[in-house]
Amino acid sequence: MKAFLVRRAFSSVITFIAIITIVFLLARMTGDPLAELENDPRISPATIAAIRASFGLDKPLYHQYLSYLLNLFKGDFGYSFHYKEPVMSVIIQKLPYTLALLIPSITLSNYLAYLVGIEIGWRRGSKLDSVFMSISMFIRSTPYFWLAIVFLYVFSVVLGVTPLFGAVTPGKRFEWSLDWLVDYLWHYILPFTVLTLRGFLAELIYVRNVTVDVLAEDFVVTAVAKGLPDKYVKRRYVARNAMLPIVTVLGMRYAFIIDGAILTETVFSYPGTGRLVYEAIFNRDFWLLQGAVVIIAASVIIVNFIIDVLYSYLDPRVRYR
Amino acid sequence: MKSARVLSLKSKLREFWSVYKRDKAAVVGLAIFLIILAVAVFADYIAPYNPYQRVGLPYQRPSWKHLLGTNDIGQDIFSEVIYGTRASLFIGFLAAISGTVLGTLVGLFAGYYGGKIDEILMRITDIWLSIPTLLFSVFLVAVIIRTGGIPMFYSVILAIALTSWPPVARLVRSATLSIKERPYIESAVALGSSATRIMFRHIIPNVAPIILVEVVVRTAMAMLTEASLSFLGLGDPTIKSWGTVLHFAMIKNALILGLWWWFLPPGIMIAVTVMSVMMIGRGLEIYFNPRLRKY
Repeated sequence: MKAFLVRRAFSSVITFIAIITIVFLLARMTGDPLAELENDPRISPATIAAIRASFGLDKPLYHQYLSYLLNLFKGDFGYSFHYKEPVMSVIIQKLPYTLALLIPSITLSNYLAYLVGIEIGWRRGSKLDSVFMSISMFIRSTPYFWLAIVFLYVFSVVLGVTPLFGAVTPGKRFEWSLDWLVDYLWHYILPFTVLTLRGFLAELIYVRNVTVDVLAEDFVVTAVAKGLPDKYVKRRYVARNAMLPIVTVLGMRYAFIIDGAILTETVFSYPGTGRLVYEAIFNRDFWLLQGAVVIIAASVIIVNFIIDVLYSYLDPRVRYR
Repeated sequence: MKSARVLSLKSKLREFWSVYKRDKAAVVGLAIFLIILAVAVFADYIAPYNPYQRVGLPYQRPSWKHLLGTNDIGQDIFSEVIYGTRASLFIGFLAAISGTVLGTLVGLFAGYYGGKIDEILMRITDIWLSIPTLLFSVFLVAVIIRTGGIPMFYSVILAIALTSWPPVARLVRSATLSIKERPYIESAVALGSSATRIMFRHIIPNVAPIILVEVVVRTAMAMLTEASLSFLGLGDPTIKSWGTVLHFAMIKNALILGLWWWFLPPGIMIAVTVMSVMMIGRGLEIYFNPRLRKY
């Protein structure tokens, strides 16, 4: 187990270094990092030269690369020219909103997809199965953000039961009070519902197909032939064996949180990291975007590491590969 | 000789159709897709106005003159949606083709040469797969735009192609691994065929079915990614795709003003098109993989 952990951790570090190297090279392809400042008439050439020297931009490329690596490991992810703040602190401020929205939603939708998927896989070919399959197909075909737009339109504009934007009413200060919590939850309910519903329906087809594959296995046929009760076969034979591929695919959704967050938070004007990425595009704040990519890549690698460790508990064979 | 080939192609098509038509969903998908394709091709004749020109007062409600009203600068939304079909299909298809070609090359080289080359290429594939797709494409488009030199229209296509190849590479690699062990490849090697010839003349035709299904599925995915990127404002603002129409609907507050005729139709078109393409992909998969057939 220890050898497995060490090997896995080592490859995580390699992956991280590879990603930041790709990001560094791509960013350098875009030309002068101070281009935005040079177009600003309020800043004198001398100041720009000073900034250039202070960031080490007058040094050769390999030197810049090494100091970039060093800074990353020290926790310095660059500077946002729009927010006039280090990228890390900008992201840290927004992160709680995203995590509080996405983690419960992914967990609930995974759980629902697992429950319902196994059930309709078990009843493959039934009316229930084809109804869920059609809905799932349709939901997979709709763009993430458009579904959010439709929900926002129906519930906030037409019915007016939910707020139009934000995580709390503007002007409300962050304080742990019941009043604040109620306001927060009132803003929370709609994005949460959209994300959960979409996640559940989109993943459903996958769980269902895995279940159908397991049902075709000889040991299931044997179990049914032996006369074991359906419930027992479903839970002990089918669900157990469908578990492994399901954990891999549904687990990856935690690592890819940001993709859903970018679109959903943009539609709901929710002040999280996803919205931050959108604003970075809008404000042409390239360095914030670059820092965000690196920080998010790091968290994805950590999540992947955790999934792999969990997986090795479920299926001990992978430890010896 | 020539007529015999034509005949065999005809009978092949007949055989294909006899299997394909058994899947009702695939047939419906194909029918819907053909209609949408016709809309894209004949957009000039179907659309009542030029979507790039101001043809009326801004923010009009749907009427017989403007079926889906007009947008914030007085362009006809119905014509925008009709022309959007062209851009969305074209971008989706081109991005899917490019991504699939890239993935096929990587998978082919990795699978055929094996050893160190395989290890390095697959390592890169895995690393690529571990970056969230949408975030990565957003970053790539931003990089391409900042670098300049490539028209904005193609930067979205390039970004989608560069983020969508890894799954294709994996599929093609595993297919190549099994094909290269077959006796006829051994004979080709014994005859002194070059590696390039073996890869492109003997292996590629045998992975063609996989590649074809991938192109179709990737087209559906690419259309969704294009819609997302354009919605976020990274698309070419001078070309009307469904995503760009939704982007302007969003930033011009169509939602809060309750102008459903502006933001509902493009989304419905995306959903219906993507679904029809996915149904075709499923039908092709069933045709090429007889184990999926239900008799």
